[in-house]
Amino acid sequence: MPRKLSLSAWDGRYEQLRRDGLSEPGYGGPLRRHVVREKDFRLEQLQFDNSPAALRLWNFLLTENARLHQARANGHKIVGTMKDLGTVPVMAYALPGVRAFYPDGAWWTPCLMECSDKLLQQAEAMGIDASFCPVRAMLPAFENGEHFPRPDLLVCSTGAVCDDFSAIAQRLEHLGHSILWWEMPRRRPPASDEAACALPGNLAAPKIQVDRVRTELQRVGKALGKLAGKTLDDDGLAAGIRAANQVRRLLDSLRQTVYSAPAAPLPALEMLVAEMLAIHFCSDREETIAVLEDLLAEVQSRVRQNQFVIGTDAVRIFWVNPVADLRAMNLLEELGGRICGSDYMFTHALDLIPENLPPLEALARTALADPMVGPTADRAARIVRECQAGHVEAVVISRIPGASHCAREGEIIREIVRHKIGIPAIELEIPPICDALLPNLGSRLQALVETARARRTK
Amino acid sequence: MKPAREMDVFLTSPWIPAEWIKAHGLEPRGIWSADNFWQQAPPLSAGVCAFAEAAVRFAEARTDSAVIFSTACDQLRRGFDAVVLHGQRRAFLFNLPATWQTAAAGQIFRSELERLGQFLLAIGGQAPSPEGLRQEMVQSSRTRKRLLESASAGSPRGFAEAVARFHWDGAFSPPPPAAPADQVPLALVGGPFFAPHWKLLDEIEAAGGRVVLNATETGERSLLPAFEFEAGANHPFDALVHGCCDNIVDVFQRPNTRLYSWLKPRLASRHVRGIVLWHFTGCDLWRAEAQTLRETFGLPVLLLEAGEAAGVTPRDANRLQAFIEMLKAEG
Repeated sequence: MPRKLSLSAWDGRYEQLRRDGLSEPGYGGPLRRHVVREKDFRLEQLQFDNSPAALRLWNFLLTENARLHQARANGHKIVGTMKDLGTVPVMAYALPGVRAFYPDGAWWTPCLMECSDKLLQQAEAMGIDASFCPVRAMLPAFENGEHFPRPDLLVCSTGAVCDDFSAIAQRLEHLGHSILWWEMPRRRPPASDEAACALPGNLAAPKIQVDRVRTELQRVGKALGKLAGKTLDDDGLAAGIRAANQVRRLLDSLRQTVYSAPAAPLPALEMLVAEMLAIHFCSDREETIAVLEDLLAEVQSRVRQNQFVIGTDAVRIFWVNPVADLRAMNLLEELGGRICGSDYMFTHALDLIPENLPPLEALARTALADPMVGPTADRAARIVRECQAGHVEAVVISRIPGASHCAREGEIIREIVRHKIGIPAIELEIPPICDALLPNLGSRLQALVETARARRTK
Repeated sequence: MKPAREMDVFLTSPWIPAEWIKAHGLEPRGIWSADNFWQQAPPLSAGVCAFAEAAVRFAEARTDSAVIFSTACDQLRRGFDAVVLHGQRRAFLFNLPATWQTAAAGQIFRSELERLGQFLLAIGGQAPSPEGLRQEMVQSSRTRKRLLESASAGSPRGFAEAVARFHWDGAFSPPPPAAPADQVPLALVGGPFFAPHWKLLDEIEAAGGRVVLNATETGERSLLPAFEFEAGANHPFDALVHGCCDNIVDVFQRPNTRLYSWLKPRLASRHVRGIVLWHFTGCDLWRAEAQTLRETFGLPVLLLEAGEAAGVTPRDANRLQAFIEMLKAEG
């Protein structure tokens, strides 16, 4: 039966699965080893889905740095791509022998290691203090080389991006890590007399902006091709887009199945991790596809058998922004909520990349559909649409400590949600380790859940 | 300063050329120079920049005027979103490119100026003539040149007032010369620094220092070099695009090496011994530069944070005194 397990319970579960003939990929093994070897102490505070598919997902996520080091040892070129969340990796994986990853992902390291890595303190010593987003953890991670390998090429989108990230990346460059910056203009609606392009996610942008982004991506493509020793041509890029779309289709099926089921067939935490795979395939595109196929098969089977991990009474929540502490996703479910919609800041990495356009044009349009580069009202409009489609009862906007976009966007999103659909919405800030704030976070989430439940009876 | 008239066009960034607005027959105004820009301390939500918040409140209140926001920072960019959401129709978001080493950056700047021109026409401006634009550019170049010449010798407060006056109505008001004294030369580097904050300059002088380089967003750094016209060969619009885009010196640019290239000779020639880094609460872009400034120039850096209230807090005045005392002791 599907249920959630603690790490300790997973120890026994793993042994049982092994005895029953569990077959695992090369990165497989008991979850416990990530605590012992990698000091991922936070795992001891989390609740996990008990399926082999979830085990594979977690092992895939938690071995990323090791797999990247192995890829380097095998002669692969490593590209660190920053901020665009979903576009440049599609290009990189279209080239042989290239792996792309987001150093931004180091923002979860302090959480996973329960700050035992001291990355945040080291970042402070490097001039980036707690007034910045936890993504500052990537700065010392670059310097000490103890996490991900130092990339052969660093690419970062700039312009309409978060100030804190941009400032940290600039600090990185001052420390000697050369960066290829590419311009991401702030997306705007086309004027009535202006040539316009349709973008994924029911958006539109002026053609002139799409052209500019395409030119910038062309520049990035040249640098990637130079690194790979092979020109990134249209055929290769089109194949890369098709493969990326395979991942996106799987994720779409997974989200549809989980979010529309009468109760949750997979916990929120595993869904968050699964969605994250979209942005750079956790450094292995083919394995991402296999991991997602496993998860999808698992949830489809559970739905067919009416087996769920969360009760049918749970309040349907739409969650905005990723959480700095993974524990928060467990907390929501413990308090009677379930995730039925999400915007973890990369909805453009979930939408299909158009396959009927020249590949670079298609990627430029997809990059411009990034919810973080356009008007907050656009982002809110999508949230409203998805809330309506998913019969969502409440919205949680989680603030990322120190993130520049969180200063104002939450208020705007809440205002639009309240005005358009009138469901309750709250904003709460989740630090990398939220233990000390659990009573406060818990009571706020509980109040939201209770309010949403009370509205059912009206 | 005289009160703003109807259809004034308030700019939130000195990098959006006032000459372009003037050439459309409208009155460009640096928003930070408006008397009522910083009327009262706005209550701030966590992380909100007080400058961006003041710009939002100003734009929402001044529906008889236009306000041009810029994308130079996340806070202003999203502040524009809030203004539009609350119904202000005469607001415009100018996409300032962060990159500057490619032709694409110049193209973005050019197309944004063209789009701004359409907006200005829509709110009642007139189509600019090349000659009219050229005259505005020549006039402003002349004033900026005079201001730049007075930068190092003028009194710090007088110079701040003179630049503010220039950003308000384009006029030149000569700053009084600085009183000769044996004071510690300092650079004031950072974001917008305007009238309610000028008391800081007095505090610095009282503590025995003097700002010999005002490199804030509203100081010397905001004064572009004179526009260059190539013997009538280029349209003034081209000269405007290049003159602005090629000379933006700001922290938001990527890479922001131009800022350091601009600072280096000035810090050296004015014998600066310490840097006061002035930034608004929530301004990640400036705050992140403190360490790099120290490392690059080998100078001590004091961070001073502008919050909701005007003036200088007793705590900051105390820190400032200690900073200058330390520099004095070092000789």
